[in-house]
Amino acid sequence: MVRSGIELGVILLTVCISFSACGRVDDQNRSYFLYWSANNPYEIEFADFVVKAWNQKNPAIPVRFQPVPEGRSSEEFILAAVVGKTTPDFYSNMWQGDVESYARAKVLVALDTLDGFLQTISQRCDSTTIAEITSSDGHIYQIPWKINPIMLLYNKKEMASIGFEEPPATYSEYLEAAERFCKDFNGDGYFDRWIGYSEVLVTWLQRFFDFYPLYLAASGGGKLVEGSKVMFVNDAAIKSLAFLQKLYARNYFSKEILSARQDVFLSSVIATRFTGPWEIIHAEKFKPAGFEYDFCPLPIPDDFQGNRYTYGDPKNIVIFNTCRDPQAAWEFLAFIINRENDLKFLEITTQLPRRKNIFSDPYYSDYFKKNQKMIPFARQSRFVRGTDVSPVLKEVFDIISQEYEFCVVHNKKSPEQAVADAAQAVQLILE
Amino acid sequence: MVSPYLLHLLVFVAFPVIFSFILMFHRWNIISSMEFVGLRNFVVLFQDRLFFTAIYNTLIFLLIHIPLQIAVALLLAEMLNQQIRFRAFFRAAYFLPVVISGVVVTIVWQQLYGFDMGLINRILTGLGLSRVGWLTDPNIAMPSIALMATWKNVGLYVVLFLVGLQGVPEHFYEAADIDGASHWQKFIYITLPAIKPTIFMVVVLSTLGGFSLFIEPYIMTGGGPMNSTISAMLYIYKQGFTFYHMGYAASLGFFFAAIIMLVVVIQKKLIDRE
Repeated sequence: MVRSGIELGVILLTVCISFSACGRVDDQNRSYFLYWSANNPYEIEFADFVVKAWNQKNPAIPVRFQPVPEGRSSEEFILAAVVGKTTPDFYSNMWQGDVESYARAKVLVALDTLDGFLQTISQRCDSTTIAEITSSDGHIYQIPWKINPIMLLYNKKEMASIGFEEPPATYSEYLEAAERFCKDFNGDGYFDRWIGYSEVLVTWLQRFFDFYPLYLAASGGGKLVEGSKVMFVNDAAIKSLAFLQKLYARNYFSKEILSARQDVFLSSVIATRFTGPWEIIHAEKFKPAGFEYDFCPLPIPDDFQGNRYTYGDPKNIVIFNTCRDPQAAWEFLAFIINRENDLKFLEITTQLPRRKNIFSDPYYSDYFKKNQKMIPFARQSRFVRGTDVSPVLKEVFDIISQEYEFCVVHNKKSPEQAVADAAQAVQLILE
Repeated sequence: MVSPYLLHLLVFVAFPVIFSFILMFHRWNIISSMEFVGLRNFVVLFQDRLFFTAIYNTLIFLLIHIPLQIAVALLLAEMLNQQIRFRAFFRAAYFLPVVISGVVVTIVWQQLYGFDMGLINRILTGLGLSRVGWLTDPNIAMPSIALMATWKNVGLYVVLFLVGLQGVPEHFYEAADIDGASHWQKFIYITLPAIKPTIFMVVVLSTLGGFSLFIEPYIMTGGGPMNSTISAMLYIYKQGFTFYHMGYAASLGFFFAAIIMLVVVIQKKLIDRE
């Protein structure tokens, strides 16, 4: 009898453990909206603030929030939730590049079918942004919420010490700065400090921090793909690859993999970096005494004329089709993205709401007066792009990343050849 | 008492295998419904040069890793089988890397192998030698990973060899001593034949472990430089969990499992013939 009891217990335990991972996170018949936010402490603080403010004003439409559960990446967890039908009603950290796949799988609500959505979005965003987030079926499945534009972070004192009172604006100026800055201090024949650093790993998403923003800058916000067409066979792609190739060929960029090392920028081992506003919180916390830094637009080809675009690293809000009342959900989301809450979001997270004219809007001027480091990002926000609409975007970036490695990091292909080879491979998957 | 194990087997082994078998004939990106494609995944597989590069890289890893691991493990086991001072300490020290998380070990070695700031290259330049692209040179990256994997795993095989060595009857060596055999002759003619079952077990375990090479290239190189460290497991993972080509990843998985079985069978036949 005792043995049977133990056996039964072990079986029950095994079943519980086996199926706990597959269990529903929440009851889909809940009487409130479930909101998943990003799980960084600043966005958790904002979500907590905004949900409390909403619930106080709208007790009839209660919202509860929880940070997206910890996983290797939030994208993987969202996918798991979609498969298990345990998605929240809405999620506010959706990478723009993933939306098309989810939209085609019909797991997202077409927001343009909701009353008031188009009016609110056209007041908040410019037509370029709206075109960028419109899916291939003509519907809009995402609210453009926040951006973190990739810009050039530079060490002001070090740049001044090599004669650059103003940061380098063009490829030639940047290469000149690199030649002056890179030094071999101990005479072993190798540089001990470099003008910059970018991950040499071939992982597809690393290209959001080197090739892709430089391509956008060089092309005036050009596309990589459109429908089933390759759009990057152009001078902008070749020039940006050639520029990066020179940086590695001349050892101006270190080929190190620095994931677990002391911050090389704050320790003045490198003088510049292609990065976003998240560096501000980090730098203010860890910078040594007297360290001065600032941000400026990414370098462009010498002969480039036009607006200097960059990658905006947009994260957007979506409503999942498990939501029982999308119209009421939209009311809450419209509340999240109103002017007041956008300001609160900016103050708490140091991330920019994707709102047109944010820098010239007097409502935000006090914030920028107090947070001067955010001004370059606010200025840049007029000229940011997200990702192209494609269900195979990761594959496209993976192919580009492979060619990038051969061409830029190892100098085994000319930029022209790399662009041609990447275009050929991308065309195959688009077809 | 067999019920929990049976349940575990059904949920975590039988179901995934059967489901993967079904997946092989479908296109499925997890979020959309499955589409039957017949043998198309295999047509793509045989045209996929990168997958065969990944298999080639894995075999290169095995060719370096297995002999190195056996040689180092046997040498250490032989030394630790002698009456040396601090023997218990050394046995524990060599086993320690086995119980450390693979991710931690990999990150530490990634820093050691750094081209510009890594400790090993700093020492080399300090000695007036050239830096080595441990993880950035396509010809050296995989041997570097094999070396690290050997350091990580050798302790386990040292223990296995120690058990094997302690099972060799002492009177064999005494008889050899009387005949005037050298230490090397005793090792070749007594020790090695006596521990042949252990060697076979180590070869098979190393082969299976080597075929599942994943964490090291995933963290250290991402499969680069220039695809020189992309292993078959990493490639299958990438197809499945980066691009969500689940049907194709299942086909790659079954094909790769067949290769592993073939290699292990060949190994067994070769060792049996010996």
